Amino acid sequence: MPPKSKRKKSKSTRPSHKRKYLSIAALVLVAAFVIYLGYLNYLINGRFEDDTWALPSRVFARAQELYPGLVLTRDQLIYELELSSYLAVDSEPLPGQYRLLGESLELNTRPFEFGSQFQGARLVQVFFDLSRISALTDSKSSDDLEIFRLPPVILGSYYPDNDEDRLLLAEGEVPQRLIEALIVVEDREFFEHSGLSPMAIMRAMLVNLKAGKVVQGGSTITQQLAKNLFLTPEKTILRKINEAFMALILELRFSKQAIITAYINEVFLLQQKRIAIHGFAQASRMLFRRSVDSLEAQHLALLVGMVKGPSLYNPFTSPDNALSRRNLVLKIMFQQELLEQAEYAGAVAAPLGIVGRLPGVNPFPAYLDLVKRQLQTSYSSAELSRRGLRVFTAFDPLLQRNLERGLARGLGRFAQPELQASVVITDYLNGDIQALIGDRVTDFPGFNRALMAQRPIGSLIKPLLLYSLLSDGLTLASKVRDEPIRIQQSDGKIWEPRNFDRELHGEMSLYEAFIRSYNLPFVKLGVAGGLEKLTDNLARIKLLKHDVVYPSMLLGTTSMSAYEVAQMYQVIANNGYFTPLTTIRSVTDQENQTLERVPLESLKLFDQAGMIQVQRAMIGVAENGTARYLSERFPSQTLAGKTGTTNEARDSWFAGFSNRLLAVVWLGRDDNGPINLTGSSGALKLWSDIMELQGFESFKISRDESLSWRHINPANGGITQQSCAISVLLPFPKDRIPTARSRCQ
Amino acid sequence: MSVTSLVRLFYRLTTLSLLSIVGACTVSEIPSNRYQDDIEVSMAAARPVTELQNQALAALGEEQFQLAIDYLQRAIKIQPRNAWSWHYLAQTYWRDAQYDRCLAMIERSNSYGVFDDALVSANDRLKPKCQQG
Repeated sequence: MPPKSKRKKSKSTRPSHKRKYLSIAALVLVAAFVIYLGYLNYLINGRFEDDTWALPSRVFARAQELYPGLVLTRDQLIYELELSSYLAVDSEPLPGQYRLLGESLELNTRPFEFGSQFQGARLVQVFFDLSRISALTDSKSSDDLEIFRLPPVILGSYYPDNDEDRLLLAEGEVPQRLIEALIVVEDREFFEHSGLSPMAIMRAMLVNLKAGKVVQGGSTITQQLAKNLFLTPEKTILRKINEAFMALILELRFSKQAIITAYINEVFLLQQKRIAIHGFAQASRMLFRRSVDSLEAQHLALLVGMVKGPSLYNPFTSPDNALSRRNLVLKIMFQQELLEQAEYAGAVAAPLGIVGRLPGVNPFPAYLDLVKRQLQTSYSSAELSRRGLRVFTAFDPLLQRNLERGLARGLGRFAQPELQASVVITDYLNGDIQALIGDRVTDFPGFNRALMAQRPIGSLIKPLLLYSLLSDGLTLASKVRDEPIRIQQSDGKIWEPRNFDRELHGEMSLYEAFIRSYNLPFVKLGVAGGLEKLTDNLARIKLLKHDVVYPSMLLGTTSMSAYEVAQMYQVIANNGYFTPLTTIRSVTDQENQTLERVPLESLKLFDQAGMIQVQRAMIGVAENGTARYLSERFPSQTLAGKTGTTNEARDSWFAGFSNRLLAVVWLGRDDNGPINLTGSSGALKLWSDIMELQGFESFKISRDESLSWRHINPANGGITQQSCAISVLLPFPKDRIPTARSRCQ
Repeated sequence: MSVTSLVRLFYRLTTLSLLSIVGACTVSEIPSNRYQDDIEVSMAAARPVTELQNQALAALGEEQFQLAIDYLQRAIKIQPRNAWSWHYLAQTYWRDAQYDRCLAMIERSNSYGVFDDALVSANDRLKPKCQQG
């Protein structure tokens, strides 16, 4: 009976179907679970093995060389050490510390990898004589040192998008005592469990039930690491499940030492403005100015205590909470026999021992911005913010301090809140950009005017124009006439340039016209041939910005940034040798492998004798010309420079140099409104304030055998006697020495 | 004193007097003046620079060219007008087969050491080697 048998058959297959479905469901579940575990493992692979943390790239200042005879006061050295987070102590300094010994200073440097050379920690005593270093000795051997290099200051960092900052410790670098303290406080069964601790979970559940709310967690260190590295902080069942399985996978795949090291590098401990400080090494640097291996019990206890609540136990905002938490940790350490009685008593009695305040985040934004722009030709933004590169620059923190102080003093003179400023200071002999500001508020990371503000440069163009005229056969004694000139431009319009004072001054030497910055003689000579040479010369230093050449360029209608002006004047101050301005000297990766070096370039682009004549004329500007304020303020010093003012006094410029330093100052408004300041009444004053604070040596002209010096009367360019009060001593090419004589009047 | 000696003395004195009178009347060359650099590098930095130059030469002897360059760039940073540092840098670039840089450094060295015969001849010997390279 087929129906029966059918019925029978269906009866007999029902359980088998169920089993089948159950089996399939079980299989699907197992497969889903395996996929789930695989996914968790994939997440762990992605972060834990390859690129666990995005490391900010560090930008270093120049390394300060110390040697007997160097002009450096003890206060300046202390400032440099404080910037490097050195700690002042009374006993023999450990690495990263210093102490004052009478008039001398003893410091112990941190070990540092300079790229081509490793320099270990060294105890050095520095003796001072007024404003100079008088001697330098190795404290251990008492040997005199000829020269010693300080590890450089970190002037800033390029942080990852998540704004996390950390210093990494390798497995062997973590102090054993830190591991022990962490374990007794956070996870006593760490070395026994396999990622989860049922006992800890039970304990936490009981405590939480009693309290009626969550007051204790049962998470192991491995779970915390899993949560911190891979998961969000939200409190959901799913997240807890993920966390538990990830902890198990971590324990299966990695050693306990690797897990605890990762935890010590990962854990969030402190907020420094927008930057989150992760890991014990960086937090130790920030809070105590010490490397983690030099921490004492009370320091370790504070850091370990902060793990539970970085905000609640923040020693700056909640010092009482932090102190009681620290002492609780110390008590646990003592009970667990990590501390002897005496050490425990001393540590509990010690103050928190933190620094006065945290350093600012990137206090030199304009300089960092320029470094980043120069780096971005070789590295992407992602590389800069993740790869932990070490960028060595020419930044001079002492010079930057003087620049910022001089700026504050200088701007105070003008009482114009809308007045903006940019300043670039370079060592023109090697192209190092040593200090820079791009805003009147120096730590404001906004529009960087030193690089981005393109403004007409006015008479700052004249030195290069003068060079062009001198190389065309004129001399500083050549007679020129300051008289009206009308020029028909390509569009048919007539251009009638005028002098700044709107006066006419008749006949005079080219030198005199230059130092007084008269426009008309230069326009006249320029249209007669100088303009073509000027544009050639601008093109040589890559500053010719327009294909179309127009006569008003002779009066500096070309716009440039302060940075570009500095490049133009670098060549002039350096006898015609072009050295590209740079902030960067070298770049290494985090393993200290050199990725890039910027060699010292020196290209002879212009004739030295011609540039020397220009330099002498620029000294004349500072002695008797539009910048004679310099000779009044620094009567015993020789400086060279040029003022620049644009139409309706919208831009005030001064570019000048001493024996080593070239500084370019711009003042103006962002809306391009008049500031009622000339180059002389504005930028020159600010320039002087900065240079006075910095201190400088007189500019000296190089000796050149092709030049011969003569006293001339600047009024007419004739040869006159040295004894003549109005005579000026000027250099001339030997084949173009003036022959006409002049009376002394 | 013989008559001949007296005549010689008279002759010398007269010559010197005449030369000084002529000199006073002529607008003479001025070998150096207050605006000019006498190329005497600062004594304060002489010893550390010498130390760095010596370390550079030692590194050069061991063919550690980059280390030598680093030492010399430090020396130049301290005393940028020291013509010998630029010369040693030129030497290092020559040994490292960077011939264009070698020539540029020789030129810079000569610009500071024009009155140092030993330096000028050292640069003169090095220059053809870099040109041939």
